[in-house]
Amino acid sequence: MSVRQRFTPQRDGLLLGRFEPIEAYLLRLATTQLLEMLDFGTTDPHLAASDGVFGRLLPDAYRDDDEAAAEFRRFTATGLLERKAQNAQIVLDSLGASEPDTATLDSEDRQPVMVMVSVDPDAVQAWLRSLTDLRLTLADRLQISSDGVVHLATEDTPFLRELYEWLGMLQEELVYAIDV
Amino acid sequence: MTKTAEHTELREEVSLDRPWVTLVWDDPVNLMSYVAYVFRSYFGVTPKQAERLMLQVHNIGRAVVATGNRESMERHVEAMHGYGLWATLAMADE
Repeated sequence: MSVRQRFTPQRDGLLLGRFEPIEAYLLRLATTQLLEMLDFGTTDPHLAASDGVFGRLLPDAYRDDDEAAAEFRRFTATGLLERKAQNAQIVLDSLGASEPDTATLDSEDRQPVMVMVSVDPDAVQAWLRSLTDLRLTLADRLQISSDGVVHLATEDTPFLRELYEWLGMLQEELVYAIDV
Repeated sequence: MTKTAEHTELREEVSLDRPWVTLVWDDPVNLMSYVAYVFRSYFGVTPKQAERLMLQVHNIGRAVVATGNRESMERHVEAMHGYGLWATLAMADE
């Protein structure tokens, strides 16, 4: 664990997270795009079902029974997508309410101004799930196969890959922070 | 993180119906630490059990994480999809 741990549990049960401005910016950007995609899926579940990424966000519940899988999807898809959208919104709200940590402004070690994010236990659950949804979505974009190999080969690949890895690190930091 | 008592019954769920199982499948995206966390926090299993189930998913490709009637397995699968895990249900001993 680095000296500057990202998440620090507070005595009041809140979790305090510190992000570099660029990290907060990228997380906000990625989550905004996820939210738009989920909203699109909620308004048109049929169209959404044809898109590969929704197939992974809402996988078939029955492997060998298409009819039962379709039935399950009909009863659960809207609710699941709405909850995923709510989770993304909670992440955005946490980030939106964040303020630069002015205490670090004058510190002699010249750390950049960090964005401080306060997350309550319910919001932590939303964060964990939303980070997963982000990674699943990015994995689809990156065309990651079951063996974990990235097949997308465009100029966007290095950036998307780095973002994907970073989100994984962030999620793990969050799991370790609450899992004492 | 407290364990939810309401989920501890799931391994002992008794039903006159033919039993169903909830399966979680390996995927290249989800982190081992997160999967183990989900098993602990949702199913209320011990860290050791969660670790064993997670490793089973990782090494064998899937694990049975719950047994019971069809309705409750559908509920578990929906919850797993909420967490972003790849879960399915099937009749036991299939």
